[in-house]
Amino acid sequence: MSIEITMPRLSDTMERGTIIKWHVAEGDEVTAGDVLADVETDKATMEMQSFDDGVVAGIKVPEGQAVDVGTVCAILSEDDDAAAGDQTQPTAAEPAQPAPAPETTPSHVEVIEAAAVRTSAGGSGRPDLRITPVARRLAEAHGVDPATLQGTGPSGRITKKDVLAAAETTQEVAAAVPPSAAPADAVPVESPALAPIEQPGVPSTPVSAGGQLALHDDDRREPVSGMRQTIARRLVQSKQEIPHYQVAMSFDMDALVELRSRLNSELAEYEVKLSMNDLIVRACALAMARNPLMNASWDTDAIVYHNRVHMGVAVALPEERGGGLVVPVIHDADRRSLRSISAQTRALAAKARDRGLSPEDMEGATFTVSNLGMFGVDDFTAIINPPNSAILAVGATLQKPVVRDGELAVGWVMKATLSNDHRVVDGATAARWLNTLKELIEHPSAILV
Amino acid sequence: MTRAIEFRDALREAMSDEMRRDKRVFLLGEEVAQYDGAYKVSRGMLEEFGPRRIVDTPISESGFSGMAIGAAMMGLRPIVEFMSWSFSLVAADPILNNAPKMLYMSGGQLGVPIVFRGNDGAGGQLGSTHSWCVESLYANVPGLKMIIPSTPHDAKGLLTAAIRDDNPVFCLESERMLSLTGDVPEASYEIPIGEAVIRRPGSDCTIVSFGRPVHFCLEAAEALVAEGIECEVIDGRSIKPLDINTIAESVRRTNYCVVVDQSWSFASVGSEVAAEVHRVCFDDLDNHVHRVHSDDVPAPYAHNLEQEMLPNARKICEAVRACTYNA
Repeated sequence: MSIEITMPRLSDTMERGTIIKWHVAEGDEVTAGDVLADVETDKATMEMQSFDDGVVAGIKVPEGQAVDVGTVCAILSEDDDAAAGDQTQPTAAEPAQPAPAPETTPSHVEVIEAAAVRTSAGGSGRPDLRITPVARRLAEAHGVDPATLQGTGPSGRITKKDVLAAAETTQEVAAAVPPSAAPADAVPVESPALAPIEQPGVPSTPVSAGGQLALHDDDRREPVSGMRQTIARRLVQSKQEIPHYQVAMSFDMDALVELRSRLNSELAEYEVKLSMNDLIVRACALAMARNPLMNASWDTDAIVYHNRVHMGVAVALPEERGGGLVVPVIHDADRRSLRSISAQTRALAAKARDRGLSPEDMEGATFTVSNLGMFGVDDFTAIINPPNSAILAVGATLQKPVVRDGELAVGWVMKATLSNDHRVVDGATAARWLNTLKELIEHPSAILV
Repeated sequence: MTRAIEFRDALREAMSDEMRRDKRVFLLGEEVAQYDGAYKVSRGMLEEFGPRRIVDTPISESGFSGMAIGAAMMGLRPIVEFMSWSFSLVAADPILNNAPKMLYMSGGQLGVPIVFRGNDGAGGQLGSTHSWCVESLYANVPGLKMIIPSTPHDAKGLLTAAIRDDNPVFCLESERMLSLTGDVPEASYEIPIGEAVIRRPGSDCTIVSFGRPVHFCLEAAEALVAEGIECEVIDGRSIKPLDINTIAESVRRTNYCVVVDQSWSFASVGSEVAAEVHRVCFDDLDNHVHRVHSDDVPAPYAHNLEQEMLPNARKICEAVRACTYNA
């Protein structure tokens, strides 16, 4: 049995990788966890570890050479006898069809970044799995795990053809395995059709090796709600797919604090009660209208610039009722008055807490504001809410020592951190947007008209 | 005993057989009697049945359609020939607003056993106002049946069934197919309304069509063999009622479906078939149903533009490739 060690995809943008240095030579014995090589990607140099025990039967890519993701870099033989044969002829277990693109096949290689974080390959589930109805049915019938397949349809959709090809490979591989082999040894890991070696996210029994803590008597394991599943899926997708970076800025809030208190006291009889967040949402919407490059979404091979500004406002649901987070949307927020934004936000937040939002209430946001200021948080960072390109994490407005005209004084200060999708928005653009926001917040007349 | 005859002869045989069999059946329309029919479908019928049963009408579709509906309500079984279905638009009130609803609105007292028939679709450089495909527009109305034969054999059998049916039946023919020759039994026979037929068996993709475009589908299916794609072509034959069972049975085998409908795409026979296939075969599909229609413009006069606007074999091949991920 031989195992192909392929160039893994280590990031969304990675298409090629370079073997900087081989730490093993042909004929070397390796055990799972040994470092095989250093790999340089477009972002960093990482270690390529062996996932299996065996003997290095062949090194296919010399040091210094860049190869496409999925290219076979080395062959690992699981027993000495086969090693000689493996170098000269394909083994019987080799799939007849070229394995579908490699980033989702169960990785034979564990790649460890400096921080020893597992990559997504072989991880728990596939939040982006697209599969046609008949392909799903056939996968079940043939015992093929769709999560191990790379679809050839539009947007990576897994089609009937993909499943049947994988099923065929499984059969061929199964036929090639000597019947005397123990079942555990008979699992040829190079086949994309077979289940991943381990699935840390799917613990049928308490395990610890896969990163899951064993359950103890007084622990509680609670199935997640649909909303929690959606939050998990969307945020994992966001974190995995979107290259996040953050830009933070401090705001002198004296003018806004003063404005808010004046408006609320003078307009109290009209039942106007503006929150700090209402003012910030309005300012963000105006900043967006002035910097349309920010009001955009990534769409595989294009950037979509949105003509209208719809602001998502993150709302936490009460913990005693299951908690969770929803993002109601204030449509056309740049064209709404403060009073309208305030009323709409209040109404949607109440609706979210009382009876839940309708899909329309949560549709179409082009930007999101998440405010933890009311909980006394100084500053934090937020995960982008796809398909937005940015999210603003707003901290509390607090009294702090500030320097004005060279003198120490007490002023109201707020810190906000903008998370951006680097595919869409570069740092300078984000900084310009924050400067516009700062201008609006520190000279808030423009927010009123 | 079968022999090869033209589509127009098959239609005439159905009408003549039924007029011999049933004294209540009569034919009316523009030029059906003395001129033997604008397209010679009723050739010789005036001679056999006389002017009381083969009736020339003025150019007044609304008037003679209404008259025929009245006759049907009083117990006769009229066949109304429209020189073209394009001209039936002025008779929308009698044929859509009266005939299909009468049984319902009279509480079951007055049915309208009537057949409306004529040329549907582009005849070839007749310009936009004379090139209507009315199937999607008219099939929307409850209370009527609609047949659309694509062969002489089906023309005779379906029209016979239509004349014997107690409901209003719209029979859509094509000027471009009237000279089409095919084997037709001499004896009278019925093809049940609402039964599709598989024109060409295949395992890789189901193509569903109605009327003249069925022939384009067969042409496309032959061309695709060279690419290793074996299409199953289903001729719906009836639009209403729609034989979704035959279509679904095929799609469950092929997992792909392309619908070819010569009307415009919006709210059409094609969109209805697609919606039904998605409903009935959801778990069997490997791609969404692809549709080929006439382009969303009035029919052009210029020959090359007209050919490009209508469904044709090239467009059908493209749709099949896209649907089966072979694009």
